[in-house]
Amino acid sequence: MEPLKILVAGPVGAGKTAFARSLLGEEALTTEAKVSEALGKETTTVAMDFGVLPVGPYRVHLFGAPGQARFDFMWDVLAEGALGLLLLLAGDKPEHLPEARHLLDYLLSRHPIPHLVGVTRLDLGRAWEPEEVALYLRLPRERVVGLDARRREEAFRVLTQLVEMAVEVHDA
Amino acid sequence: MTRQEELLALIRNLRTAVPEVSGVMVASADGLPIVHDFPEAEAPRIAAMAATSLGLGKRIATTLRLGELQETVIRGQSGYFVVYEAGEKGVLAVALPGGANLGLVHFEAREAARRLRELL
Ligand SMILES: Nc1nc2c(ncn2[C@@H]2O[C@H](COP(=O)(O)OP(=O)(O)OP(=O)(O)O)[C@@H](O)[C@H]2O)c(=O)[nH]1
Ligand SMILES: [Mg+2]
Repeated sequence: MEPLKILVAGPVGAGKTAFARSLLGEEALTTEAKVSEALGKETTTVAMDFGVLPVGPYRVHLFGAPGQARFDFMWDVLAEGALGLLLLLAGDKPEHLPEARHLLDYLLSRHPIPHLVGVTRLDLGRAWEPEEVALYLRLPRERVVGLDARRREEAFRVLTQLVEMAVEVHDA
Repeated sequence: MTRQEELLALIRNLRTAVPEVSGVMVASADGLPIVHDFPEAEAPRIAAMAATSLGLGKRIATTLRLGELQETVIRGQSGYFVVYEAGEKGVLAVALPGGANLGLVHFEAREAARRLRELL
């Protein structure tokens, strides 16, 4: 099976680690540390999430980035060689939208690769819907999808869509 | 002594014991500076990198079954950056010039890290 590297990035609490865990289960390699400020969750990623899983004929090497801005030096480290980018964003945290846009612009300017935006936490109150996020990020509507990062089948559907985009571009 | 004073004393003692140390950082495990004597402008990045180094080191140690992580050592041509585990909540990072006596540094810094574990 051909290896294919995918990067998952996005602001803090978007569900990047949850995404890796729902796809990889116990196999997910994570680097969580206890949070020392109020983040609305217990732990945060300080280095990366990692794991390998099959998607069709491909072996996807999934790399998740830390979301907090102070770990931005990891973005380029992890983006090296990636063939697809999934930017996750918590729909219930619209205050993270500017940061998400910056992150997307930054990563795509340095690594112009196929990308999708996943909007999580849509079941929580007053969440931004994918179409609104697409407008904000000036992306085609079909590039922005909603998902619950905790649910394996939803995570897998989004990952599969991105892998297909990556393969298409890579093979062209 | 307040906790802050105790932490500052801990840094001072480490410096007295190992004068060649060029910077000491006590940071939270999630990468925020707590007390340090690095230049203020560099501190946030150093604290974040210390947490990244230790977090990744811990994962490598468990994955390769090396036992509990003690420290990570980054060695460049002209210096070291060593990060010690200090419990669930904190890390202790030390910057050193290339010629430093790493054995002595480990001895003193591991002791300081043990103390830090109780303080945080
Ligand atoms: N209700 C709800 N919760 C979700 C959904 N998707 C993810 N979550 C939760 O949101 C939280 C996201 O936290 P993490 O996975 O740690 O987020 P992260 O992006 O890795 O954050 P950092 O590593 O700190 O940058 C977790 O508690 C998930 O269970 C969703 O669709 N609905
Ligand atoms: Mg995470």
